[in-house]
Amino acid sequence: MSNTWYLYLFFAAALVGAGLLGLLGKRNLIKLFIAIEVIGKGISLLLLSTGLAKASLLTAQALVVTYIVIEVSLVATALALIINIYRHKRSLDVRGLANLKG
Amino acid sequence: MILQTALLIGLVLFSVLAIALRDLLKSAISLAVASLLLGIVFFRMGAPYAGVFEISVVAGLITVLFILTIALTKSGEEVRESKLANVVFPVVFVAFLVIDALVMKELVGKVPALASGAEAPTFGEALWKGRTLDLIGQIAVILAGVFAVLALFRKRDKHE
Repeated sequence: MSNTWYLYLFFAAALVGAGLLGLLGKRNLIKLFIAIEVIGKGISLLLLSTGLAKASLLTAQALVVTYIVIEVSLVATALALIINIYRHKRSLDVRGLANLKG
Repeated sequence: MILQTALLIGLVLFSVLAIALRDLLKSAISLAVASLLLGIVFFRMGAPYAGVFEISVVAGLITVLFILTIALTKSGEEVRESKLANVVFPVVFVAFLVIDALVMKELVGKVPALASGAEAPTFGEALWKGRTLDLIGQIAVILAGVFAVLALFRKRDKHE
């Protein structure tokens, strides 16, 4: 069981790492949001694999379902924000949003 | 086990493609394929409900939302990504994977098992009885999302 768990944890961490690197390196707002989605995938894989390893798969499943519902709400709000920013700035470049920078 | 590993490798590959590809539409489709693979992994782990949600909601609905946004913002291809990040990203990611493989092996044995009671016999009971507060929170989050979208897209008054 430990070997399987190790495999899942390894790939979950790889997903989170890829998402973090994307967040650090990209400038397009939609790309940044895709990176956040990838981190979320890693987290749900982590939750479910830990549930499997610790023999509480059903609770882990309930948590993942809750997370997915929250994710949809988050995506809808964030994409609406991105569309609004595009209407104001005519650009998706995150560097154009530094108006309040001192 | 081999199939599961292949699915997980595909999942990471498509996720990295979703971040690294220049074309936003291809990125969104890569993300959908990654979600599909994650859903299949969930099914094979014995979690059919999470798998169904992952495939129908994340691979379906969220992809549609992404593609809609890309169409509404005319794909935003004028954003110039930093060249340095494009060179450094793969190198740092490979280094991260090596460190991940080494650290995770040590970590797996050391995570303490939390004390947990007997689990509910069905998914329905685990969700509706064990996590009732979560469900109320979900309703609140959905309402918050709906109102946020309504507020962001409201029409301006003529007097403003």
